[in-house]
Amino acid sequence: MKNRMENFKYNISEALELPKDVVLDLPKITMIGNIQLNISNHKGIVEYTQEILRINSSIGIIKVTGNSMELKTILSEEIIVKGNIEKIEIYS
Amino acid sequence: MEVIKAWNFLKGYVIIKVEGLTLERFLNLAATRDIYLWDINRIGHTILEMKVTIEGFRALKEIVKRVGCRVEIIDKRGLPFIIYRLKHRKMLAFGFLLFLGIIIFLSSLIWNIEIIGNERVKTEDIMKILEKEDIKNGIIKYKIDKDYTKHLLLNEFDTFSFLSVEIKGTKLIIEVKEQDLPPEKIHTDTPCNIVAAKKGVIVKAIARNGKALVRKGDVVKKGQILITGLISDEYSEEQILVHADGEVLAKTVYNYRIDEPIVKAVKEETGRVYERRELKIGQKGVQFFKGEIPYADYIEEVKEVKFFDMDMDLPIKILIHQFKEVEKKEIKQNIDFLKQSTHIKAIEELNKQLPQNAQIESKDVKHYIKGGILSTYATLEVIEDIGEKIIINID
Repeated sequence: MKNRMENFKYNISEALELPKDVVLDLPKITMIGNIQLNISNHKGIVEYTQEILRINSSIGIIKVTGNSMELKTILSEEIIVKGNIEKIEIYS
Repeated sequence: MEVIKAWNFLKGYVIIKVEGLTLERFLNLAATRDIYLWDINRIGHTILEMKVTIEGFRALKEIVKRVGCRVEIIDKRGLPFIIYRLKHRKMLAFGFLLFLGIIIFLSSLIWNIEIIGNERVKTEDIMKILEKEDIKNGIIKYKIDKDYTKHLLLNEFDTFSFLSVEIKGTKLIIEVKEQDLPPEKIHTDTPCNIVAAKKGVIVKAIARNGKALVRKGDVVKKGQILITGLISDEYSEEQILVHADGEVLAKTVYNYRIDEPIVKAVKEETGRVYERRELKIGQKGVQFFKGEIPYADYIEEVKEVKFFDMDMDLPIKILIHQFKEVEKKEIKQNIDFLKQSTHIKAIEELNKQLPQNAQIESKDVKHYIKGGILSTYATLEVIEDIGEKIIINID
């Protein structure tokens, strides 16, 4: 039932060219080079150290690996990470 | 981002150290409660450092209780804290206010009076009039009534056709335009003579009032009476004084001579420049030398270095003396061409001397060459009114 609903939403957003992160409630991950990472529509931080950052989201846990990472901003809808980013993994 | 930083600075923020085990929960709770946290950095295994606004810090207290961590303020930054600290340093605030006051006071004084455009009227005379009205260096500029000053000066000197009084910063600029001085009007009741203003040969003498003493063909000298206002009767001793009036046209001659060497020494720049700098403070200057000027012949040019690209008259100036090397060359000029150019020049010079309503009768230009020098004589014969009214002194 839920799967059908998701499919329907996907088709609608395809047909009407609506942004999928809004319609499907997906996180939007934007990277600027390897020095900055913006994650909007997140669901909270699970772990934060200078080397590892794990963020909860609707598609699972996003794991960002790097060094000397710093959280520039945390808002309820967006996280901005600054530092040397090396790897992004998604554990769904 | 700079705008946000500036805003945060104005609002004030604190740098805090949070120590605890579940710091991620602390961050999540702060995010859900819309507490703005930024520049979060993990500095130890159980320690986070972050920045938070003053209101944010107050709101954090509840979260701290729930999460069970320790918060410590490391630094307070921003305008509210600076003001708070300044409140305890009254003398500093006082000094700052005093400084501002002095600046405002000094910039509201007139430091310099500049008078532009006067040629015949002396600057000192204008200054004297201004001083009488208490306008001098060191007065407060808001006291000056510009319109009043303008009318005062215009009334005092009739030669000014235009006058503007302007205050630019601490400078009072009075700009004047002088009109050509009108000949002194003599009232038609005042007895006067008409005398020759210059020598010439009379062409026509018409006396509208008074008696003409000269006739056509007479040669008159400067100052000679042409039409007299003193009329005497043959039969009586009594003399009548009248206001002489009339036109006396005379032929006058204007000469001009130009000497121009045919072989001309021309200075040509070689393109090599030697520079010297000078620091000028007020009237005193210090020149910075780097040895002697290495050229035998040179032209000196002085330039001023402008600070900040602004049109300001600062008491400290940096001048650059540029010495341009020149080579002297002798050029033999074309005589025909030279004759023509001196001819034009001479006539131009003569035209400047002529009065407005003069009629040119004849023109004569002669050239002589002697010892490598071309002399050009230009002569103009002109018919003009040479009469000048002069009051008769009855003594």
